[in-house]
This record gives sequence, C-alpha cells and structure tokens, in this order.
Amino acid sequence: MGALDRLSQLGNQISGGASAGGKAKLLEKNPDDIVVTAALRTAITRGGKGSFKDTAAADLMAGALKSIIERSKINPALVEDIVVGTVLAPGGGATEMRAAALVAGFPDSTAVHTLNRQCSSGLQACVDIANAIRSGQIEVGIGAGVESMSTQYGPGAVTEFSELLESHPEAANCKVPMGVLSEQMAKAKGVTRAVQDQFAAASFQKAVKAQKAGLFKEEIAPLKVKYEDPKSGETKEIVVDKDDGIREGVTVESLGKIRAAFAKDGSIHAGNASQVSDGAAAVLLMKRSTAEKLGQTILGKYVNASIVGVPPLLMGLGPWKAIPKVFELTGITKEDVDIFEINEAFASQCLFCANELGIPAEKINPKGGAIAFGHPLGCTGARQVSTLLYELKRTNQKIGVTSMCIGTGMGMAAVWVAE
Amino acid sequence: MASLLEARTPGFNPYSVKYSPYYDSRLAVASSSNYGIVGNGRLFILGLGPQGIAIEKTYDTNDAQYDLAWSEINENQCAVACGDGSIKLFDLNVPEFPVMNFHEHKRETFSVCWNPLTKDTFLSSSWDGTVKIWSPTRPASLKTLPVGNCTYSASFSPHNPSLISCVSSDSHLRLFDLRTPVNAKYHLVAQIPIHSPPSIPQSTILPRLSNGTTYAGAIPNEALTHDWNKYSDTVIATGGVDRTIRTFDIRNPTGGPTAVLLGHEFAVRKLQWSPHARDVLASAGYDMTVRVWSDGSAMPFPQEENVIRVGQELGLMNRHTEFCTGVDWCLFGTGGWVASVGWDERVLVWDAHTLLRR
Repeated sequence: MGALDRLSQLGNQISGGASAGGKAKLLEKNPDDIVVTAALRTAITRGGKGSFKDTAAADLMAGALKSIIERSKINPALVEDIVVGTVLAPGGGATEMRAAALVAGFPDSTAVHTLNRQCSSGLQACVDIANAIRSGQIEVGIGAGVESMSTQYGPGAVTEFSELLESHPEAANCKVPMGVLSEQMAKAKGVTRAVQDQFAAASFQKAVKAQKAGLFKEEIAPLKVKYEDPKSGETKEIVVDKDDGIREGVTVESLGKIRAAFAKDGSIHAGNASQVSDGAAAVLLMKRSTAEKLGQTILGKYVNASIVGVPPLLMGLGPWKAIPKVFELTGITKEDVDIFEINEAFASQCLFCANELGIPAEKINPKGGAIAFGHPLGCTGARQVSTLLYELKRTNQKIGVTSMCIGTGMGMAAVWVAE
Repeated sequence: MASLLEARTPGFNPYSVKYSPYYDSRLAVASSSNYGIVGNGRLFILGLGPQGIAIEKTYDTNDAQYDLAWSEINENQCAVACGDGSIKLFDLNVPEFPVMNFHEHKRETFSVCWNPLTKDTFLSSSWDGTVKIWSPTRPASLKTLPVGNCTYSASFSPHNPSLISCVSSDSHLRLFDLRTPVNAKYHLVAQIPIHSPPSIPQSTILPRLSNGTTYAGAIPNEALTHDWNKYSDTVIATGGVDRTIRTFDIRNPTGGPTAVLLGHEFAVRKLQWSPHARDVLASAGYDMTVRVWSDGSAMPFPQEENVIRVGQELGLMNRHTEFCTGVDWCLFGTGGWVASVGWDERVLVWDAHTLLRR
C-alpha cells in the first residue's frame, strides 16, 4: 500500500537493535554532530594548601567561563544555557553559579543551572548540554564543572540518614565512605598494594613528564587570584597556571612507606588515591553546522555517553560497566579507542576496571590522572574533555573515552572524537 | 563451496523461497520489483536439472509478493502473499492468472502457510494485525484471529492441525488453539514475550547465558520470523530485528528462552528448522548471510538453575551480496540441501554440509 510506510518499516527493521555503526560511522562528519569548539580548565591545586585555597568555587567558575569566551571568541549572547556540575556547594551552588556567569561576561539572557551527579557531574553537564542541542532546545551551550574542596569539603556534605534509609541494608551502604569501601573492594578483588603503588607512581611520573613538556599549557587557562601566604599571613595576588599537586620523584618505593589510611592492613593511602583539590573546567558545545556558521574552530565531537548503576559498595566498578555500554551505544570496540581518560578515584578501582576490560596501560591517562594532580569532584568530568581532546590532537589520534566511577555506585562513560 | 547452483530473478528482488513438498527438483520464489517498496511482484517456478536451475514459469502480480506456500493437496498449486493484502492461488497448469484470489486483509499480506496435516486449509498473516484461515475452495476466510499489530509470520504446527502460532511487531509469540471455544480471547492460548528474561519469582539469581553473561532480556523489538521444530512438538524458534534467534518451549510461556543463538549482525529475516535433524536450523538475515545453527539440544548441558543455553553456529554462507530474505530446506535426499534468496536477485541452492565446521 503506502510505499513510504513500507520504506520506513524496512528502515526500522534494519536500524532497530543493530549496533550504532562502528568506527567508520564515528569518524564521519555530519552537520548535526555535536562538536566542542573550546575546552579548557583552570589549574588544579591542592585542597587547603594550594594556590586556590582562598578562592571560592564561583570565582574559579567565573574565571573558567571568562577564559572560554576569550579563547573561543564566541559572542556570549549566543550561549543559551550553561550547566555547572558541582557536588559540595550548599544549595547546589545554583545562586552563585548564575552570578559567576554574569561576572564572566554572559548577558542575563544566558541561563544557568547546576547539577550534581557526584564525581561525574562535569561530564553530566556536558552531556546535558549536548542533548539539549541535539533535541533542538538550544543552539549553543556550555557544560562545566567546578569544585572548591578547600572551602566546601567537610562532614556537612551528606545529610544525616533517616531511620528508613538506615533500615535498608543496600540503601545504608550508600553512605559508606569511599575509602573504606574501596579498601574492601581492593581486598575482595585481589588488587594488591604493590600494583596500586605501581599504578600511582606511574600516574605521578606521567604527569611530571607532561608538565615539564608543557603538555598541559593548552588546556589550562591561567587565573589571577588572591592568596594568603600561610607563613607571613600576607595576602597577595598571584597568577595560577600550573597544577601544584604534581610531585616529582614519586616512586613505588617512596609510596611504599606511606601508612594505609583506612585499615591497619589496608592497601589504600594518600599516595594511591585521588588528591583533594580545587579547580574548574568548561566545554563549549554546539552543532557542527552552527560552528561552521560562526567560524568556530572544532576541537572534536561528542558522540554518546552511558550511565549505569552498580552495587553501592562496589562503586569503583562503575567504568567497568559503563565503558562496555557506551561501546554498545556507539558500535565501537576497545581496539578502536586511542586514549582512555579514566578518573583515578583510587588506583585500586581504576586498575581493576582497566584489567577487567583488557585495556593496555599505555592507553590509560597518558598525562597522568587524579592521583597526580587531583580530583575536584564536580570539575573532573569536564576537565577530562580538554585533557583528552588536546592529547588526541597532539598525538594525531582520533577516538577517546572519558569515564569515572560515581559515589553511591554508578559509572559513566562518554565517547569523543578529536578533529 | 564446491556445490552451489545459482539462478537469477532479473528485475525482481526475492522475498521468499520454498521447495515443493512433492518434487525434489521444484522450487518457487516470491519476489518484488524495487525491493518490495513499490511496483509489481513476480512468482518464479524453478526446476533443478543437470544443466542447473531453469526458470520454468513466472506469474506476475500488480503488487509486491512477500511470501508463498505450496499446496499440500495439489502438487501444481501455490499460494502467494501480496502487497495489496490479497493471497493469490496459482496453478502451474493455468498460465498467467491466478485460479483463486482471496482478498480480505486490509494491508500487506506478509506470510502464508499451508496446513501440513489436514492439508485442506491455509493461513495468512498481515500488517493489518490479523491472521486469517482459508479454504482453497472458498473465497471468504473461514476464521479471523486478531493479533493487533503487524504480523510478519504465522504458521500451523506440524504436529497438531489445530495449533497456530504467529510473531508480530510487538515482540510476542502468540499461540492459538482452534479447539478452544471462541470466547473473548479468540482461541488465543498463550502469549510469550520474546524479549523478556525468564520470570523467576522469589529468586535473587539473575538468569545467565551458558557463555557466562547475564541475560537481562532486551528492549522489545519487532519479531519477523519463527518456525516450529519438526521433531519436538513444543519447540518454536523466533528471530527478528534484535539480531537474536531464540527457542522457546511453549509449555512454559513465562520461562524465557530455552536457547539463544547469537551471531547475526543485522535483523533475522527468515528461519527454518531442518527437516532432518532435531537441533539444526538455518536463518537468513539482513547482514547478507545465511547461517546454520545447532540449538545445542543435542549436546550435553549441565542442568544448572537459571542458565540459558547458547546455541552454536555451525556454518555461515556469505555468497549473497544483498539482504538475505528467504531460506528453505529440501525435504528429500540425504538432507542438508538448502535454497536461499536475497535482494541481490539471486537464488542459491547449496549443500549445508559443505559449511559445517569440523
């Protein structure tokens, strides 16, 4: 009867259930691709001690947003929505992030909201913006993330659990501290201290090498902030353009001397877990057709992302489950991926996921990770985008994955293609 | 492949192929111009001889042809499912025009199947969401079974003349038993969700496949084809858009699949159990392959709770250069001869034994 009906029926039979086309499809350039035209971050500095210790989260965000306008030369009035991932801010940081956007130079017509999906908030922010663009809701948006763990990290981060939540064993597990459950997971999965220390030392060594070679220069936007010298007590203005958590000379031997933090016979310590840090990152997203019209330089494109749940006590397994799912969504395999940016919440979980998925060490975090330069919770997901895209570009590679585990037992992964 | 016979259907893209139940040398192919999207249909009657495959007769229809069924009662007759909703009965002794025209379906007729036991009826399924039962001698249908959504494939049980099965775009396998009274359910006796995992009340163990992965089921996808096992009277295999072939035991409608066959890279368009071995079936898919499988039932299998058997692919025929749409086993001879058709306008006849991995 209707030829068009028959055609669309056949089309559905062919596209339905099939994997999403694989590598060749991924490398295609289409006008409706969601592309990144600028991605940057502030330096990431040590919580309580580093250069941003006296800088509020909103000030970091304002700095990053201002830099993204300067760098992309986008007319700020064209940015319709900004999503900021932030975890620790009271009230979700909604008020001060709106204010930060105004400070950065966005007009009042640019909407702002914040979100909190724990350690993946920065990535979730980018994904939300990409989806809003894909659905036609907005044309240009910014996915961002920020965390000032110096000023906002503390016991107040989680509300006291009610009796109801405490009465449900799996629900109660949601508030087991990360370190404790990672310790249990490392034990259960047989990830020894020796391999964790090895992984952590490698992270430091890679980061030192990358920093010396100036590989972070492209992604870091320098920021001028006030800093109180802890010795003299005098406040001065400094320009921060370098991650200060990266330490030289870290070896397996030096890590081996650190005492375990969560259990006497434990394997996790300050040297093989992510650092408490401050930082902000932002990613400017739009359709390829829009980017071409605006004359924006395309760094790469966002393909798709996955979100999965795992048992709360095994939250470190997040990437192990999320990465295969994003492969299914995009139709690629691990062999197609050139670089994996997997957040190093703990050496134990990152290593376990990589081993289980069979990802070779040289493909993971080539410039080091959160163990070496820190994990400002809300920032990390957005930070990984700039780290990944500039490294893919520098090494003339194409496909990258960013992924992280998420507190309370989730995982997220996204596929990006550099251009 | 040493032994491969080939015929062409120029200008027409085949949708279905069937061996005659009477002659080992006769085949029929239902085909459509322009991939069945718009245009005429043509029925090809093919003869296998020492010179290869010869086109003996053709019958044209105004709309596409999607399926055919040989009459079980008259060796010269053949029913064809047409895109205009009609079913046309052709007689090889009558040139050009059908001897009967059955037109009740309001949309494309997608499948026809002759009752192999009583031989006096055949059925059809359609995009209009119904299955109809016909007598070859009466122009109006004997019965209409409502399905409610596009029914790609319907079939009589080869073991019981009253049992009818069908699969449709809502991802369900339905069973009708004509012996039951026509109550509110119109003979419907079972409705098996193809995509669902086994429902195991009060169990915390997730069902697993025998290859170790958990089987959580899938999103419902269109089911395009199914067939009754020729030896076990309760086993049906299904295939469709989700690329997966599953077998079900109709005695346990909520028990999930008994075997899962993984390998097709696109939708499974047609599957057919072997008439010669109880565990073997062939499937044709949009990935341009015809695959021969064992459902694993002939192999030892540890009886573990909640473990679903993963079948084994025995061989893959990749000589088609377009979507494979039809496959049928020859009933005669040593067993193992298969005819397949695809949108590449070709009919291939080959011996499945040459594919088997030893």
